Amino acid sequence: MDSTTSGLDFAVLGHQDSWENISDFINGIRTSNEGELTNEKIKEIFSFIPPRTLFRMKVRSNTGAEIKGTYIETFIEPDKLDSSFLRVNIAKVRNAVSYAKKTKAKIATLGGFTSIVLEGNLDPFSDGETRFTTGNTLTAAFIVKGIEKAARDRNVNLKESSILIVGATGDIGIACTNFLKNKAAKLLLSARNYLRLEKLAVELINDGQQVIYSVNIQDLIPEADIIICVASATGIQLSNLKSGVIICDAGYPKNLETRLEQTKGVHLFHGGMGQIAGGYDLEPDYSGTFYRYAAPHIVHGCILEAIVLAFENRFESYSEGKGKITTDRMEEIYNLSIKHGIDLAPFYNAKGLWSQDQNI
Amino acid sequence: METMKKEFLTVEKFNVISDVFSQAITGELIGMSNFASLAETIEDPNEKMEAVEHANSERMHAKAFMAYAKERGFKININLNGQYWGNVRKQFLSYAHKFDFIACLIIQEVMLETFAISMYTDVGNALGGEAGRLFLRIAEEEREHLEHSSEFLRNELIEDPNAFINKFEEIHFNCMTILSEFSASTDISGHCGVCSGSCMKLSLHHIGLDIVTIRGNALALYAQALDEIGIPGEKSIVWIARLPA
Repeated sequence: MDSTTSGLDFAVLGHQDSWENISDFINGIRTSNEGELTNEKIKEIFSFIPPRTLFRMKVRSNTGAEIKGTYIETFIEPDKLDSSFLRVNIAKVRNAVSYAKKTKAKIATLGGFTSIVLEGNLDPFSDGETRFTTGNTLTAAFIVKGIEKAARDRNVNLKESSILIVGATGDIGIACTNFLKNKAAKLLLSARNYLRLEKLAVELINDGQQVIYSVNIQDLIPEADIIICVASATGIQLSNLKSGVIICDAGYPKNLETRLEQTKGVHLFHGGMGQIAGGYDLEPDYSGTFYRYAAPHIVHGCILEAIVLAFENRFESYSEGKGKITTDRMEEIYNLSIKHGIDLAPFYNAKGLWSQDQNI
Repeated sequence: METMKKEFLTVEKFNVISDVFSQAITGELIGMSNFASLAETIEDPNEKMEAVEHANSERMHAKAFMAYAKERGFKININLNGQYWGNVRKQFLSYAHKFDFIACLIIQEVMLETFAISMYTDVGNALGGEAGRLFLRIAEEEREHLEHSSEFLRNELIEDPNAFINKFEEIHFNCMTILSEFSASTDISGHCGVCSGSCMKLSLHHIGLDIVTIRGNALALYAQALDEIGIPGEKSIVWIARLPA
């Protein structure tokens, strides 16, 4: 590979969730003499760039261990994530996977949209030294742990609650559903594919869980005390919400705030996120552009899964395929993350950290 | 040229194809001149002969393009001293005069060749027929030059990574800035002095092309060439992001 890739513990494959981020990154690099580029000019070039490392990472564990990683950008365009661009995006992910293999990183995680190639079993990428994981197990664990904590903080009893899971038949949706099975009074399930939704619901009902399901989330929202959204917010509108509802926005990008008909009495947080107590360094230091959150050292759960596995020297495809995440594995990876000082991120949304009487 | 023989060329199409050939011929003559100058920087007799061979290869490419253009009656304008080609040549000569073989190799074999390979491929696929095949054949020959040089430059990087990367960076901003201005969707530094009328970039749609795609593909191939040599991604992204657009 290149002259500086030896000894990498982990790699992160990712993409940006807005042109604003991309513009900040590109124009943050350019000098005052070179001047800023307009979004139009950036768009002319961005998607053509082949996958490459944008920065290196050093991450510290509470145990004193330190690991080295790299972030590989796929250059997928943020406004072209829907199914009509599937073929070109999958090609970009495959190129990034090849690039990751050349870095000889011991484990690589497929962040955001890129996990689709592993979830769909399109390719296990088992040749070569690098193991690949979707990171979905720890993401799902952080989502449900976040729900449990938010409910505790707001004196909401899960056992008496109706929990709506939007995107219930996706890999993370299934994991969250199974985790919450028989922990909530009622599970309200929504997904686009009716047959898959029905199959999942029947399994849960057979296991003694009270379930209502619909492809139309508006049918379910009025009854929901808690909402977990693991689907893209495109086309979603949240109206007729219960007062005091807790919403976990765990989709990608996280922009459910823009889909709310009402904000009063709504407690929305960005879920699936963790925080590294030991911190991390980026080289070059793009902390002004990447991972800009309401508190320091917050990172997506999928990235943290690779980091935790690297700390544990467990270079394995921990999460792959769809529907294989078990509650035991969620507990296992969550406990390992706690061991390394990686815990739930503090609750925040687009307005910042939650305050005591948080409304969105 | 079975396809184009049968096809009636509109004035717009005739003009843009003429300009495409003018650019290709001028570029090949620049390459020929650069390799000839490069030969002067080399002490090793075998490498010197190889540089002359390369110069001859570029001459043959120019000749092939010229012969085809003449046969079809295209309006050809050759200008080695135009705004962009002339400046690239000046950059090359500034390193050649310092007998900086590595710098010359980087400019000619990495920067100019990646743009040539990519653009010839796009043009070849768009034109089709005999003209298309000519562009694609020459693109393939240029690719061999690039691969040969990449291996050589990879070894140079391994010997002293920091010095090599710093040197490459300086050359990148000296030379790729010119190529980036040249290929931008609008003429950043004025007319190239090669196109017969106004800038042909605005007329590429007459042959099924557009400058954004052509330029994007060329920069992509350049980025891949940097990867092949071993330039770290976090360096190359900065180099590319800082180019004029």
